[in-house]
Amino acid sequence: MTSLLDQTRFSESIYKPTMARIVDINDLTALDRLFTVELPDGVYLDHQPGQFVKVSVLGVGEAPISISSSPSRTRQTFELAIRKVGDLTGVLHDLQAGAMVGIRGPFGQGFPMDRFKGKNLLFIAGGCGIAPLRSLINQVLDDRGSYGHMQILYGSRSAADLMFKDELHEWENREDVELLLSMEKADIDWPACTTGYVTHLFPQIELDPRNTIAVIIGPPVMYKPTIAQVRNKGIIEGNIWLSFERRMKCGVGKCGHCQINHIYVCRQGPAFQYQHVKDLQEAM
Amino acid sequence: MKPKIAFFDFTSCEGCQLTVVDSLQTNVGLLDMVEIVQFREAMTEKGTDYQIAFVEGSCTRESDEDRLRAIREQADVVVALGACAHLGGINAIRNIYSIDEVRDEVYGDKGEWYETYQPRPIDAVIAVDAVIPGCPIDRDEFIAVVTQVLQGREPRIPDHPVCIECKLNETVCMYLRGEICLGPISRAGCGAICPKYGFGCVGCRGMISNPNLESMEEVLEQYGRTLEEARAKMSMFLTYQTLEEGES
Amino acid sequence: MQPAKILPKSAFPGWIDFLKRSYTVVGPKAMHGQTVFGEIETADDLTLEYNQSVIPPKKYLVPQREVLIEYKLDGTEVEAKFNEEATVVFGVHTCDLHAIKLLDLIFSKGFTDQHYAAHRDNTIIIGYECLTTCGPESFCRSMGTASAPESAYDLHIIDMGSDYFIQIGTERGEALFTGYDGVFTATEPDYARMNGTLSDKWQRFPYRLDVDVTEIPDLLAESYHSDHWQELADICLACGMCTQVCPTCYCFDIRDEVDVTLSVGKRVRSWDSCQIDSFALVAGGHNFRETRAARQRHRFMRKGKYQFDATGMVGCVGCGRCATACLVDITPIKTFNELYRRQQQQPEEVEA
Ligand SMILES: Cc1cc2nc3c(=O)[nH]c(=O)nc-3n(C[C@H](O)[C@H](O)[C@H](O)COP(=O)(O)OP(=O)(O)OC[C@H]3O[C@@H](n4cnc5c(N)ncnc54)[C@H](O)[C@@H]3O)c2cc1C
Ligand code: SF4
Ligand code: SF4
Ligand code: SF4
Ligand code: SF4
Ligand code: SF4
Ligand code: FES
Repeated sequence: MTSLLDQTRFSESIYKPTMARIVDINDLTALDRLFTVELPDGVYLDHQPGQFVKVSVLGVGEAPISISSSPSRTRQTFELAIRKVGDLTGVLHDLQAGAMVGIRGPFGQGFPMDRFKGKNLLFIAGGCGIAPLRSLINQVLDDRGSYGHMQILYGSRSAADLMFKDELHEWENREDVELLLSMEKADIDWPACTTGYVTHLFPQIELDPRNTIAVIIGPPVMYKPTIAQVRNKGIIEGNIWLSFERRMKCGVGKCGHCQINHIYVCRQGPAFQYQHVKDLQEAM
Repeated sequence: MKPKIAFFDFTSCEGCQLTVVDSLQTNVGLLDMVEIVQFREAMTEKGTDYQIAFVEGSCTRESDEDRLRAIREQADVVVALGACAHLGGINAIRNIYSIDEVRDEVYGDKGEWYETYQPRPIDAVIAVDAVIPGCPIDRDEFIAVVTQVLQGREPRIPDHPVCIECKLNETVCMYLRGEICLGPISRAGCGAICPKYGFGCVGCRGMISNPNLESMEEVLEQYGRTLEEARAKMSMFLTYQTLEEGES
Repeated sequence: MQPAKILPKSAFPGWIDFLKRSYTVVGPKAMHGQTVFGEIETADDLTLEYNQSVIPPKKYLVPQREVLIEYKLDGTEVEAKFNEEATVVFGVHTCDLHAIKLLDLIFSKGFTDQHYAAHRDNTIIIGYECLTTCGPESFCRSMGTASAPESAYDLHIIDMGSDYFIQIGTERGEALFTGYDGVFTATEPDYARMNGTLSDKWQRFPYRLDVDVTEIPDLLAESYHSDHWQELADICLACGMCTQVCPTCYCFDIRDEVDVTLSVGKRVRSWDSCQIDSFALVAGGHNFRETRAARQRHRFMRKGKYQFDATGMVGCVGCGRCATACLVDITPIKTFNELYRRQQQQPEEVEA
């Protein structure tokens, strides 16, 4: 057995993808689909939540996509939640199960799960930020005993934009998970749903600031106000984690596209400790 | 089923369609991928059940608008072929004069008999899905755009200055040769072919979307050229755009 | 290090002919008043006393356009492509040698870029010592790049009038003389002559920066919020020429190209520029470096600080090419000096 990373790194070329089969495609929303991808025999994915792969369609191009399944549920197959926004993602959405895609990676630094153990967790997702966060959430759920209290705040535009509805219901029904939703248009029957942005959920939560790790993933506009709320709850900078999206071409620290000041998001991120990026003007 | 494609010409020199014929010589594979149902340069039949329409030439009269709308109605994808369709191009130079002046000048006392109005790019009349810029178009770019359309993708063209390609060619800058060049504000993609052969760029592929015009004026001044000279160069392909800018 | 060689100038053309039998030989050639690296047929084609080539010899290590992989669209064949052409690059100036050293670090750090490595393996670099400074825009002396760095060249040539003193950098460099008998081993008097030539050269190389090279990373760090970036942005055309000609710029784009029958294709890498509008544009239309000021700052931060942080080498080697190319006269000499002047004037201004 070879890990995909070894396969990528030690094959002839770091730019040469491993061809993998799409075995299942499910609609998440009108714009988002969940792709289950199966690696060739003998190759497995070994990743941290928060890492990404470069996904390509031969003849079209390549894009970085977060791994949405958790390491605990990933080996030869893994899941990618992909939003249709442009060229490659448009073509991906037209594919049928059985089609082949190229995969390189996993790249970058994910979230350091070891450092989260024993802590209470505050997970905050905006829009498609839930896709990478889901990897983290399920990793924790599959090893629930190792972590403390878990709160999930998920902000979405409307009910139609909610991703992973089945899993949301599961989380909602668990005793050991506290899930709160916010929607700009709260058109859903949900036990804990607030009209507004994810920042409007903060008055409703109680937490122990000293023992809580906050993880925030969402669109660029979400970070500043959300961090302000998290800081307001008393959580220190070192316990706030973020994940950034940038344009990425190589995924391996060469092409220069993903840089935030001196930092290469593809190598040093996409997961970052807030402390390390808060002073970078290009970060948020 | 092979997609059916059709070529239409409006007011133009048909040079771009000739370039298409030319590119087919070296890319015969394309004929296995599509069925051409209308192409005046190469055939006489006229099929009307096309999915992809290539429109060459600018819209220069009311009745052109109806033809354009009919094309838009039928085609799934409309591609503007060349500078005339993309920019209004050379045909629009006369827009600096009033329509009556033009009529008198061109048709004399028979002016009233001819239908004509201010020439414009086709996207002033119908929505356009893709553009193959240039006067004439670039063979390889034509093939690349067609390929992307066949893949169901939206073709993209560069949006940065010609200078970048000019430097890659290691051409001596036209300004150092005492010539005006619109390279710093014009859209790349042609391989900076004009400076390569000793001519200043006249922006046949249109302007980039975010040109630094004030700085361009300073370049002209620094090299002892006037804005008027540059405007004269710009009038060749960019009259329609310059006038629109002025009005808005 | 192996003892150096002495090649009489009269034997030089013969040596080039000898190399041509086994290698593609490229070097600086005069073209319309500029110097351009290109293939040479005989020694006559070479212009060794040249100012600065328009595009640096990096184009032989990171070509402007390079096929990385070729494939069938159905995925049944995916093949990486590598450069296999054995090339000798002649007459690389010392600043460009420093730049190659930096590229070596970048492309081997973390993940090894095998395509770069293949070029490097197949490309023999012959340096050429500048004995006069090239133009008013170059500031190699200030950047500490007017002497050859040891690990970047295979051979390095110093012109001593009637003959060439040739330093041996690598075994494969030395092997370029195997089977060629017009060359001699340098003796002690040759070394003395060489050292005389080198020490004479410094008086012809002025310092052009007011700031010392070791202070540049800190100077840039402190100038991050300077108003100067906006002043540069006001005149910058965002044309990207400055980055295309820079020997230490290596940012690239990767795109797929498909044949018209949609059966085969290739993934191609080509030079990109952080100065053009779309460089940091992502889905949703968000542009992380939308303003020209942010892009000018990024460029100079990369040259002066970021690459230093990443590799230990300052990312500008002082060749001055960007200044020569720029139509609006944005130059590193003026920029570094202006930032330094402001820092000296009002140290508190940059704190904010
Ligand atoms: C670490 C990381 C993780 C990610 N995870 C996910 C994920 O889990 N799911 C997901 O759906 N997405 C994810 N993304 C985002 C995803 O990578 C992008 O949506 C994707 O690259 C878009 O590719 P595309 O070819 O479809 O879009 P493109 O066609 O490249 O276009 C996207 C946008 O880019 C702009 N653009 C690009 N090139 C040009 C051009 N030449 N001219 C004009 N405009 C241009 C436009 O604004 C366009 O709307 C992630 C990104 C990163 C960096
Ligand atoms: S010749 Fe024109 S395109 Fe080329 S660098 Fe000069 S201004 Fe730019
Ligand atoms: S250099 Fe300018 S005028 Fe010439 S083909 Fe290119 S865009 Fe057109
Ligand atoms: S900048 Fe200095 S080292 Fe570089 S070519 Fe000019 S004189 Fe030589
Ligand atoms: S060459 Fe000059 S004008 Fe062009 S991008 Fe660079 S600094 Fe700006
Ligand atoms: S920034 Fe300019 S002077 Fe410095 S190495 Fe690059 S091209 Fe040469
Ligand atoms: S994606 Fe290329 S350097 Fe990060």
